[in-house]
Amino acid sequence: MKSMETKIILSKTVGVIQTGIGVTAMVFAFLAFYDIFGIQTMLGVSPESIGLYLWVFIIFGMLSTISGLFLFYER
Amino acid sequence: MDEPHLKRDLGLVRTTMLGIGGTLSAANFVIIGEAAGMAGYAIVPIVVICGLLSLLTMFSYAELGTAIPLAGGEYTFAKVAYGGFTCFLTGWFEWLSNMFYAALSAIGFAYVVSYLLPQINLALTAVIVVIVFSIVNLRGTKETATAETIITVIVLAILTIFIIGAGSFASGNPATPQSASLIGPLGIFAATAYLFELYLGAEAVAAAQAEVKNPGRTIPLAIILSAVVLIALYTSVVVVAVNIVPPQVLSEQSSPIAFVAQQALGPAGAILITVGLAIAGLAATNEAILAQSRVLYAMSRDGYLPKSLCKIHTRFCTPHVAIIVGAIFTVIFAATGLVNFVVYAVNFGFIIGFSIVNLSVIKLRKIAPHLKRPFKTPLYPLTPIAGISASIFLALFIEPSVLILGIELIIVALLVYYIRMVGHHRIRIAFGGISLGLGAFVAFVTYLLGTNSIVLQGVSQGVTTLVFYVLLFVSIIQILAGVLNMIVTD
Repeated sequence: MKSMETKIILSKTVGVIQTGIGVTAMVFAFLAFYDIFGIQTMLGVSPESIGLYLWVFIIFGMLSTISGLFLFYER
Repeated sequence: MDEPHLKRDLGLVRTTMLGIGGTLSAANFVIIGEAAGMAGYAIVPIVVICGLLSLLTMFSYAELGTAIPLAGGEYTFAKVAYGGFTCFLTGWFEWLSNMFYAALSAIGFAYVVSYLLPQINLALTAVIVVIVFSIVNLRGTKETATAETIITVIVLAILTIFIIGAGSFASGNPATPQSASLIGPLGIFAATAYLFELYLGAEAVAAAQAEVKNPGRTIPLAIILSAVVLIALYTSVVVVAVNIVPPQVLSEQSSPIAFVAQQALGPAGAILITVGLAIAGLAATNEAILAQSRVLYAMSRDGYLPKSLCKIHTRFCTPHVAIIVGAIFTVIFAATGLVNFVVYAVNFGFIIGFSIVNLSVIKLRKIAPHLKRPFKTPLYPLTPIAGISASIFLALFIEPSVLILGIELIIVALLVYYIRMVGHHRIRIAFGGISLGLGAFVAFVTYLLGTNSIVLQGVSQGVTTLVFYVLLFVSIIQILAGVLNMIVTD
């Protein structure tokens, strides 16, 4: 019983962090796409290839968010 | 199927005002400038074309609105005609479109106000507007058609003063026409896809059918009347604007119409138009926040989204969770301050919605031929087919980044739908595997960064070390999440 409670607490904690990582990745994708704070220069990304980075970060973010929500809502 | 608790007290004039008021947003008068830069003097016929294209789908709204006397608009139509994933997708995009529209209206408000107060921060102003109206919605709004009518009449009166005043100025002082740059058909289509947003909101007439007197006659008439008034209004504004200020100059202004008013009517004109558009912007933001929260609420009530979204606040009697969730997303998009991106995002959502409404008309004519239809779409099936074709065609000219986002949102919709409708167990195991894969990928990138195989340019060693530890943390969390999802026991 105790171990179940520990697992649920761990799942919820990891779920929240993973969701946070996912949302951050998606926000970062848009910041990078529109070169806010000079992110494209910092990462050394050419404007032509930024669309690919947008894809990668958004997909990464979406998958992480959904996975995190699964963990968070675990009963 | 009638809703007895709603009183039918909207006549033709007030119903028409709903259609006009639904579309009058400050953002529309901001994007006219950008579109003028894209299309040059061709913006005038484009404004008319957009109105006619929108009217094609408005007929479908009128048919469905009178045949299915239930509140909810597109979502309800798709629910009756298709159910299942199509219904979910319609609600999903209806929510997103309204959310984007709320962000756009708030950004539009910020741009309009910045004409008089240039020192304001556009993104921050838009965010504050969204937060304020989310709180207003949380506390409950007694939104009445009367308030909507009053706001619409004020805005229409101000715009009429602008058209007459600036029009007489233009006839006395015609601008030297710049050489009309040939933009070609592609440019015209792109500008049409961009300006499609001008007429969005007129479908509010169909959505309010439960409160309309004699809906079979009033709704179609109100839809046609509001379309005629809007086409005349926008065309007049654009004709006057490009006759006083060349399109290219117009496109460089934060509030193009206020700039034109300043040239033609002086500072008083600019203040008048700014006040009018600011009122329209605030009203549109409020309505869009209200609309998006009600869609989330309805989808949650129908079991498509988590039940918590249809919780009603005990004190204010509003769907507070739906309002807060919607407000968070609206704030994120309002914070970008990116007018073009949000305009295309709004258009993409409504293009999907319009297509489904037209498809619903066709489907219901087949599966329910005896359904009582007080109004029938003229020239069926040509009109809905033309509406669908126009929507799909315009979607091709939407900014690529928005198209990518739109496709991703459809994928997310699929995922959310199947997660809600299919057993969790197998999907969780799948996501466990995906998380493990993502964790391994991030760990690999971390390794490359740690061994200096990839280098962050123009960044100090300290920042690189920080990025290394952040990536290490992310990879550990992803792997841990993967393991926890995979050992799930149902």
